Amino acid sequence: MDIPITRFVALLKRHGITVSPAEAIDALQGLALAGIDDRETVRVVLRSTLVKQCQAIAEFDRLFDLFFSLPAPADGSLATGPDGATAPLQLDKNGAEAPAAPEGARAELAPVEIETERTTRAPVTPEYEGVDLSLFGQHLLLQQRRDPGEAGYKPTFHVNARHNPGLPGGGELSAGDPGEEIDLGGAVEALLADLRALEVDEALLEQLEAQLAGSLSRLPDLLRRYRARDAALQRPHNAAPAPPRPRRSYRFNDHERRQMDEIIRRLGRQMRGALSYRKTTNRRGRINVSRTIRSNLKYDGVPFFPVLSNQREERPRLTVICDVSLSVRTTARFMLHLVYSLQSLFSRVRSFVFVSDLAEISAEIERSSLEETIDRVFSGEIINTEENSNYGRALEIFYERYRSAATSRTTLIILGDGRGNRNPPNAWILEELRRRCKQVIWLTPESRGSWHLGASDMPTYAPICHKVEVVRNLDQLGRVAENLVRSSFANRR
Amino acid sequence: MRWSRVGAEWSTYVFETIDQVVTLLRQQRYICDRKLATVIFLALKMNKPVLIEGPAGVGKTELAKTVARALNRSLIRLQCYEGLDEARALYEWEYGKQLLYTQILREKIGSLFAEMEDLRAAVEYLRQHEDVFFSEHFMVRRPILQAIASPEPVVLLIDEIDRAEEQFEAFLLEVLSDFQVTVPEIGTIIARHPPLVCITGNSTRELSDALKRRCLHLAIGYPDEERELEIIRLKVPELRETLARQMVGLIRRIRAMDLRKAPSISETLDWAQALVLLNAERLSRELVEETLQLILKYDRDVQQVSAQLPVLLEGADGAARLTFDNMDLREQQERYRTNERAYFSSRREE
Repeated sequence: MDIPITRFVALLKRHGITVSPAEAIDALQGLALAGIDDRETVRVVLRSTLVKQCQAIAEFDRLFDLFFSLPAPADGSLATGPDGATAPLQLDKNGAEAPAAPEGARAELAPVEIETERTTRAPVTPEYEGVDLSLFGQHLLLQQRRDPGEAGYKPTFHVNARHNPGLPGGGELSAGDPGEEIDLGGAVEALLADLRALEVDEALLEQLEAQLAGSLSRLPDLLRRYRARDAALQRPHNAAPAPPRPRRSYRFNDHERRQMDEIIRRLGRQMRGALSYRKTTNRRGRINVSRTIRSNLKYDGVPFFPVLSNQREERPRLTVICDVSLSVRTTARFMLHLVYSLQSLFSRVRSFVFVSDLAEISAEIERSSLEETIDRVFSGEIINTEENSNYGRALEIFYERYRSAATSRTTLIILGDGRGNRNPPNAWILEELRRRCKQVIWLTPESRGSWHLGASDMPTYAPICHKVEVVRNLDQLGRVAENLVRSSFANRR
Repeated sequence: MRWSRVGAEWSTYVFETIDQVVTLLRQQRYICDRKLATVIFLALKMNKPVLIEGPAGVGKTELAKTVARALNRSLIRLQCYEGLDEARALYEWEYGKQLLYTQILREKIGSLFAEMEDLRAAVEYLRQHEDVFFSEHFMVRRPILQAIASPEPVVLLIDEIDRAEEQFEAFLLEVLSDFQVTVPEIGTIIARHPPLVCITGNSTRELSDALKRRCLHLAIGYPDEERELEIIRLKVPELRETLARQMVGLIRRIRAMDLRKAPSISETLDWAQALVLLNAERLSRELVEETLQLILKYDRDVQQVSAQLPVLLEGADGAARLTFDNMDLREQQERYRTNERAYFSSRREE
């Protein structure tokens, strides 16, 4: 049983679902406990032990269906037993432990691995190498008889049986060295003879033989199906997703939204981590033994006045100022999305937008959805978006009215290209803000090379900020988050 | 080190088969499918914590409570919140008591040390007795330690873990994988009976892989139509069958819409209760509009749904019955939209 499961785990991994070895062991343990006679139970056991991400469940189900089944033959004639009951050809563990296989035979068959290749010496293509027929083969051994005679597609089997000296008759199946071609039909007869030698119930044997009848003639068809299934399993792997083109519309799909949230969480963790635990003496909290003893030494150590202290972790306080003028219109949507995500993920965020005027949109974001907020901002309801951007004036307004939003615990994030249309840049305000804030980060959509072209104030602003990063899309944002984390670790060391 | 305690007698059920789990939970008035029962069964057999994720109100916490009742175990609950630390979750030393005891025992200690010849001997003597002040006696047990040290098997419910910080997850790891707690001053306390640990989360943030790896994962979604009906029948037996059907149909269609907070089972039950109190015969538009506040928690959602009510109710009469079962939410939404489009286009043709 462990072979199909490890294969399945490998398949999951190939499709981007991370599974640790411990989890694979759990899965096997779970299957042993819950039993494998019900397909849905097996599915639930595997899902609960292997898949821990809610988003991955759909993919898991798809792979499970593909991996543990082979479409039933079209006419249904394939696996009709002597009792008339159809046993659909399923390659799950039910299939592997095929009907009527006596205990001894099962034990022998479990470690058998069968590989196939074309006899028509076709060059082995990489995707063909991936075809793995072990499960299929395990099933076949119990359900086939003779001769798949179809022109051009005549498989032979390499049977590698692991010698298992502990079992009676173990190793009988390995008709030679691993890799030697053997006749499958012969192997079956050998198996049957072997079983007879074991003095298994004769009726059972006849049943088995009857079930095998007629199966092998369907072999080529089955192989084709099997390959089709295999191809379906491989497809997403081979057809690697095309590199995402930069999006024009900045309508975000779910995946991008998740990615953005993930990146911003990472950013937040970093900002959070920057402020470590700090002990504050407080009226509430735990007794701080060392401080209590110290302050009560004057009373001969009698703790008349217990000193309480709190360990409090600082949450990031963010103030985000976003330029929504025409010059950054192409990236403004992206920037606003960033602002929106920041505010919805962290509790203490104040957001501002500006062109020439500056206004707070924190309340807007709280109230409405992302698209609504973006539409309202661009419709000019909040501030006049038709004007030329004036960074100096916007900074001045911010400084005059919202100075309180920049405290020693705040991280100030400015989103904009720094093109103030030759208005006074008022860099002193930014300096002042830098003094007041914990950190000033400027994210600009323009690459450094183009700063000196035209009237950009970025060269003035950049040295004032703690950090200036070029961000135009999600990938770059991800890289910025990565860099921030890395540099902060470097600083700590 | 184990707690030196005389093990009390207890009587608790053991699940033998998965079907038994289903029946026992049903006896406790909890309707569940085999999927859910399988995970609970595995958790008990494999001694693994279960991580239950799903939207609010689908019965995650209720499941833990019911399992405790079904197993005849006591439930220890730890509600997570931002800023939860180990002093509240694991254990805490009672500094006050320690200080008080030292003060009271001052004389006694003084007399003991009177015979000591020099300082060195006194320190040595003191060292032999230092465990007096760092013992179980001066320790406040918080939920997790309670569950670990309990003389009988319990169910430990760690509720809404995503509200706590990531550091909290980190110190849960020892408990979850080995069912033990290490107290530096005392040693390691190993559970005599591994508790059944249920962790619930609303997936408001991604939990760490380390935590997930140690748990069995159970995603509870909205139930399918039949199961939801069954739940209503069980919890609100006074509600008429036809009304219940109509109601469930409508709820399912509302869920398929793009809402901020879709109504879940707890809302369905509230609504059913309200309809019984109001003596409703059938769902009319007015009635639904008046009681919509019960199932939708945001104004914007209420407006959105009331605007669509005629369409939604029409569907409830069976005109455009959709089979939502076995679809995930996104599919349901898409399905709903296409159906809606079809509905409008057919109208235009008339």
